[in-house]
Amino acid sequence: MRSLEDVIQAAGNPVDLLRHSPSGPNVYPGVPPEYTNWRDEQQAWQKTCVLFNLSFHMADLYVEGPDATKLLSQLAINTFKNVSPGRAKQFVPCSHDGHVIGDVILFNSAPNQYVLVGRIPALNWIQFHAATGGYDVKLELDERSAARKDPFNRKSYRFQIQGPNAMKVMEKVLGQRPPEVKFFHVTALVIAGKQVTALRHGMAGQPGFELVGPHAEGDAVRDAIVRAGEEFGLRLVGGRAYSSNTLESGWIPSPLPAVYSGEKMKPYRQWLTAESYEAKASIGGSFASKKIEDYYLTPWDMGYGSFIDYEHDFIGRDALQKMAKGTHRKKVTLALEEADVLRVIGSQLEKGERAKFMEFPSAVYSMHPYDKVVAGGKTAGISTWIGYSSNERRMLTIAVLEAQYAEPGTGVTLVWGEENGGTRKPTIERHKQMEIRAIVSPVPYAETARKSYADGGWRKTAVT
Amino acid sequence: MKNLEEVLRAAGNPVTMLRNSPIGAYVYPVVPGEFSNWRDEQAAWQKTAVLFDQSHHMVEQYVQGPDTLKLFTHLGMNSFASFPVNRAKQLAPCNYDGYVIGDGILFHLEESHMVFVGRAPAASWIQFHAETGGFNVKTRKDDRSPGNTKGLAINRTNYRFQIQGPNAWKVIEKVNGGPVPELKFFHMATMKIAGRTVRTLRHGMAGAPGLEIWGPYADREEIRAAIVAAGKEFGLKEVGARAYATNTCESGWIPSPLPAVYTGEKMKKYREWLPASSYEATGSIGGSFVSQNIEDYYVTPYEMGYGPFIKFDHDFIGKEALQKMAGKPHRRKVTLAWNADDVVKVWRSMLEQGDPYKYIDLPLSNFTSATYDRLTHQGKTVGLNMFSGYSYNERSMLSLGIVDPDIQLGNEVRLLWGEEGGGTKKPTVERHRQIEIRAIVSPAPYAKQARTSYHEGWRSKATV
Repeated sequence: MRSLEDVIQAAGNPVDLLRHSPSGPNVYPGVPPEYTNWRDEQQAWQKTCVLFNLSFHMADLYVEGPDATKLLSQLAINTFKNVSPGRAKQFVPCSHDGHVIGDVILFNSAPNQYVLVGRIPALNWIQFHAATGGYDVKLELDERSAARKDPFNRKSYRFQIQGPNAMKVMEKVLGQRPPEVKFFHVTALVIAGKQVTALRHGMAGQPGFELVGPHAEGDAVRDAIVRAGEEFGLRLVGGRAYSSNTLESGWIPSPLPAVYSGEKMKPYRQWLTAESYEAKASIGGSFASKKIEDYYLTPWDMGYGSFIDYEHDFIGRDALQKMAKGTHRKKVTLALEEADVLRVIGSQLEKGERAKFMEFPSAVYSMHPYDKVVAGGKTAGISTWIGYSSNERRMLTIAVLEAQYAEPGTGVTLVWGEENGGTRKPTIERHKQMEIRAIVSPVPYAETARKSYADGGWRKTAVT
Repeated sequence: MKNLEEVLRAAGNPVTMLRNSPIGAYVYPVVPGEFSNWRDEQAAWQKTAVLFDQSHHMVEQYVQGPDTLKLFTHLGMNSFASFPVNRAKQLAPCNYDGYVIGDGILFHLEESHMVFVGRAPAASWIQFHAETGGFNVKTRKDDRSPGNTKGLAINRTNYRFQIQGPNAWKVIEKVNGGPVPELKFFHMATMKIAGRTVRTLRHGMAGAPGLEIWGPYADREEIRAAIVAAGKEFGLKEVGARAYATNTCESGWIPSPLPAVYTGEKMKKYREWLPASSYEATGSIGGSFVSQNIEDYYVTPYEMGYGPFIKFDHDFIGKEALQKMAGKPHRRKVTLAWNADDVVKVWRSMLEQGDPYKYIDLPLSNFTSATYDRLTHQGKTVGLNMFSGYSYNERSMLSLGIVDPDIQLGNEVRLLWGEEGGGTKKPTVERHRQIEIRAIVSPAPYAKQARTSYHEGWRSKATV
């Protein structure tokens, strides 16, 4: 079978391969685009409460066996000392050179028993080491809906209930006050007579719960929550609004997995097939470098510098220790200037050349958006996720900028659209690049997100 | 409540009920939102070729038996004097007062066997008369696919595709493996696709000659693959659900008149027959046109551009009423080209504080089953706007409406966009302000190509 390495060799440069890939942006299947309308659905997560359905767009990897903790710990930049059954943590593996491969959530359900949930690159990396590293572990992958023949035959449902009224809805549906649980700790609940595993979470910048259980019980649990939520203004969030919530809460969903280069990563590329996510993924946007490494992100870029634990042995440790001494880029929110955004979208009504269409509310058109951010004629960094927030009444992006440009209030310019009329990706109509001025702003952008992550984590310690 | 009559009695005024319906947007189900991107998909129907997938959004109403022709003659205002097997015609049945109930295509499949394909209202009207009118016929309804499939298998009787655009005929002959005789408009024949014989209708929905093809639903992917492969060299694009419905903004057919069934003693039996779950009982009206009298939402066949079809050579429901209307001046169908500055004003409001104007979704901007916006000229109501969207080809927001006889092509009218008092209770309506959008009264169909290349039918007879 052809491997990712073969595909890269045939393509010449991985950048060309990925920037012209026929893959569109990540899809959010299984839910309608809108339950009501995406404006009200966005506003509900800041003003009342929402039910997110995360049952379909992420992959789940179950890892268990005597060496499970050892395997995962050797791949994670963060410590496993504070991992114990009933807790969850962000799992961020890096390449040997210290660049991010992925970013998923890890649940520790019992000693040496884990489930990891998110985009597939981090999970593939675990599978590779489990298969080749001589670990005594058993793995089971439950792929995301878009990557399977039976899209809706998932093992688990996964909901989040979020927003200022989330706890009131929980109290109503539970018939009692929800138990006090620390951020990223798990508790067992009963909803509609069903056992539910509940993670104290807060994806949209407000305290809430992530609820997990057997897929077949999902409808009963969801219906009970929807009924309980009626009086508290709960809205179901559809596929269009869902992915835009991170613009307000500041998480980067889409680091390019740092696997396309480096001799030490070659065995992994030979293990990954030509059909893998990594071989099929797409990069979109104005940031065009011939060097694939320029697309890699460090843990500092993602806002995870403070996570790195040098006390334990893990892949990338030496490289990160060296990097630690240097300067780092910073994650910021860019608030795009109204006049320039209007020039871009207004060009759709004019005779001349048109800008790349700016979709509402998510303007992401590839698996890995990478737009160039410039200041004073120099490259200041890259911008990733982009879209509109009806709460903030702005187009926002999550960007990673050189420290000298990362101060809130700094003026920078985002280059919107691709060079020379656009790459060959099917999501790209012929267009003209346009510049959009932007104000560097805190991440997370939403006031509520910054203030109410009371239990710590990167959101609270983020640049303000 | 069992039927529409009971629903109406409970609701009071049908206008209030329909304008506040909880049903949500009118969905074009199952087909992916975009295959590539909706801009290029729209461009393809004017510049190269497209494959429309119409397998899911329409009802098929089959009628078979000795009285089939008699039934349709009784319901149709068109002449059935010459309607042999392998012909199709547009069927727009009216109520007793001469107002349109619905609109679709009637196919004469074989001796005494016809199928009507279109939205639910006309199909239900046909079924009602077939069942209760003493006709010797059998009926079978194949309902449209569900809006949210939730992973359940879809099983329609037929797939239904259209191949359209300037290169359509090249694609058709390539896939057929040889010349395909040029049929007359709305004549039916067969062709070969992937070794199968499929039935064809000479059509031209997007303003250029093409074919509609259909066959057993199980064959759909095989047929699709063959067409897509043959179309590659001719720039054929598959059209997704987002672009699909907007083709009518260029080609000038109004898909969504409100079925004229809510009033009148003579229609009561029908209202008692229509279930409480029917389109008529659950559908929605959206937009700025508000009248307490539901009959103000009814349209005549003259207004829809079907005047030339009406033949008084037979008895049919609504004949007398239409005979009375015949000599009088009528409102007529036009395209409205929206003022770009006013459209940008709407978009600008999304980037500012305070209630925005009603969001204009692209490319299809309707937010209900039936759109009714008020059109004014010099302060006077002069017509209704009934279907809105953006055309990447024409670089303009275009909508279809009907205007008073004294309104001339080139007149600038004002389209009141949005609903009164912050908006009705429909879930697709966020709180918003109303705005007057200037619009130039233009021919329907708008696209030059559509007007000149339809050899027969209402399009070539349209007002220019």
